[in-house]
Amino acid sequence: MASTTTELKVSAFLAYKFIAKGNRGTSALTILIMALAFVNLMFTTSVFDGMGDATEKQVIDTLYSNIVIEPKDDEVYIKNPDSVVKKIIHVPGVIGTSAQYVTGATIAYEERSGAWSIRAVDPDDERTVSLVPDMMIAGEYLSKYDRGEIIIGKEIAGGHGGSLEHISLGGVVVGDTVEVTFTNGVRREYRVKGIFDTNFIQSNQLAYVTEKELESVLGIHDMASQILVKTDTKGEEGRFLNQFVELGVHEDIKPWTVYAGIVATLTQSFSVLNTLTGAIGFFVAGVTIFIVIYVSTVSKRRQMGILRAIGIKESIIIRSYIFQAVFYAMCGCIAGLVIMFAILVPYFIKHPMVFPMGNVTLLIEQKAAIVRSVGLIISAAIAGFLPSWRAVRETILDAIWGD
Amino acid sequence: MMKRDGQDTIIATRNLSRTYVMGNMQVTALNQVTIDIRRGEFAAIMGKSGSGKSTLLHQLGLLDTPTEGEIMIDGVDISRLSESEQTRFRLEKFGYVFQEYAILPELTALENVYLPAMALGLSQDECVTKGVDALEKVGLAERADHRPRALSGGEQQRVAIARALINKPKILFADEPTANLDSASSKQILELFRALNRDIGQTVLMVTHELEDADIVDRVIWLADGEVVEREG
Ligand SMILES: Nc1ncnc2c1ncn2[C@@H]1O[C@H](COP(=O)(O)OP(=O)(O)OP(=O)(O)O)[C@@H](O)[C@H]1O
Ligand SMILES: [Mg+2]
Repeated sequence: MASTTTELKVSAFLAYKFIAKGNRGTSALTILIMALAFVNLMFTTSVFDGMGDATEKQVIDTLYSNIVIEPKDDEVYIKNPDSVVKKIIHVPGVIGTSAQYVTGATIAYEERSGAWSIRAVDPDDERTVSLVPDMMIAGEYLSKYDRGEIIIGKEIAGGHGGSLEHISLGGVVVGDTVEVTFTNGVRREYRVKGIFDTNFIQSNQLAYVTEKELESVLGIHDMASQILVKTDTKGEEGRFLNQFVELGVHEDIKPWTVYAGIVATLTQSFSVLNTLTGAIGFFVAGVTIFIVIYVSTVSKRRQMGILRAIGIKESIIIRSYIFQAVFYAMCGCIAGLVIMFAILVPYFIKHPMVFPMGNVTLLIEQKAAIVRSVGLIISAAIAGFLPSWRAVRETILDAIWGD
Repeated sequence: MMKRDGQDTIIATRNLSRTYVMGNMQVTALNQVTIDIRRGEFAAIMGKSGSGKSTLLHQLGLLDTPTEGEIMIDGVDISRLSESEQTRFRLEKFGYVFQEYAILPELTALENVYLPAMALGLSQDECVTKGVDALEKVGLAERADHRPRALSGGEQQRVAIARALINKPKILFADEPTANLDSASSKQILELFRALNRDIGQTVLMVTHELEDADIVDRVIWLADGEVVEREG
């Protein structure tokens, strides 16, 4: 039916005229409110996405790198970790490995003590998979042949304003001696060589000694609790996993995501909040459009009656209002994105929010932006439809002469 | 151009009634009205306030549905038309001029005029050509690009008339088109109707309460209490 294009043309013509030649102030205000509704929809999501992103980065950079190779289920250690490393080190995209021991220990300083995890690493290897060596806030990182020295995270040291100050050692400084009791009962004194701060509560609760140091404590050598593997890309861990298996790695191979339970919990608990604010945002935007269109249909009631009287179809009139609503919503989305990118994102880059997972800035995911824009436009279309549909329900005579 | 194609009937009503029910009161606004309007006729509907003039015009103009009776327009029994067919019928065959000027303030005079042509599916060029043509007929061609707020009441009413003429309607309906105008403008509008009727044979059906209008029209249909009467004061 050619008349459909005609109808669309007339609807678009009326909508265009009503917007372009109607009240500029009303249009500007409507678009502003739409923009704020959009920002409201996007803001919480971008904070959560930013938190997730920050957490992911932290987990990879300061905790587990991209891939973790662990002993098979029934074993405590990977035997001969060098042979495993040799198998995978030449895989394209693998840019670092670090075999290490992980053990529990009680660390005590004066009358305070606590249980923490200690990693024993080869400092040179560790630098290829972790950013912790670059995050020293006091003293220095370990060197390969250090014995009797330990570096500790700021949540262990205390005195640096961490979130877990109450269970810390209460202000250990570089050069202090702490007493470490390992799970096998061995007790040794260590000089604190350095203190690091990753901004991430998890990695700030770790302590590091050299591999050689711990081997002498445990009386074993040439083993590892885990091998961290750094890859040059994020998100392709599955591909590397398959390749490692093909190359004959028989140990347990896991991507970092398995350890990032905190990310999942965080996302889940926030997603409820996120959905709620989203629903409210759509509702507010919908109601705004509804009111704007409603006021317009009321003030144009008689004119619409006349248009119907002279033979303009109701569907043309309804559609002209839907077009207006959609136009306002689209402008609102664009203006909202401009506000986000031109004002809010730069602001939070300058003044990041401080969360336990580190400094968080807004992350605007394309998918989130598209979903919310489409949602906003759909709720605007519905909100534009309702009052105009209602307006053409009444008889032509009531519309023109009714009160 | 003289075009008086005979004495054929364009509107015929048989026993047309319209009763309004208000609570338990019934108001018979039209009572058994039987009239014939000839093609090319300039007819006025006159009568006291409340006599049913507007009601009759609304029935004939398909803006309301009669309680009883038949209406044949241009050979079509309009009771057989669906609502959307009636809308189309109005767009193609009728032109309306109301008491209020009733044009859209956001559109220019020309755009107001060609809107019904656009709704018929005419191209932009055709719309503009026809619109300018219609504005010329009402003597407002040079005001084509003005918005209504820049036009006087009489000029706005002439824009409304041009809009009513754009699709070359079979019948032009007008309900007290001069009620809001000063006498000079009123005269101009009436002369415009007269000229349209004379020059292009436009059928015009106009409600008026100005007695002197009776002299200018071909025929007066007098109404009293919803009934057609011979003649009233
Ligand atoms: N919607 C309605 N509901 C109830 N009664 C109505 C309605 N419309 C008109 N009437 C009644 O029908 C009768 C005829 O009204 P109509 O509007 O046709 O008169 P009119 O001749 O046009 O009067 P006027 O010269 O004042 O315009 C009046 O008694 C009026 O009160
Ligand atoms: Mg009347």
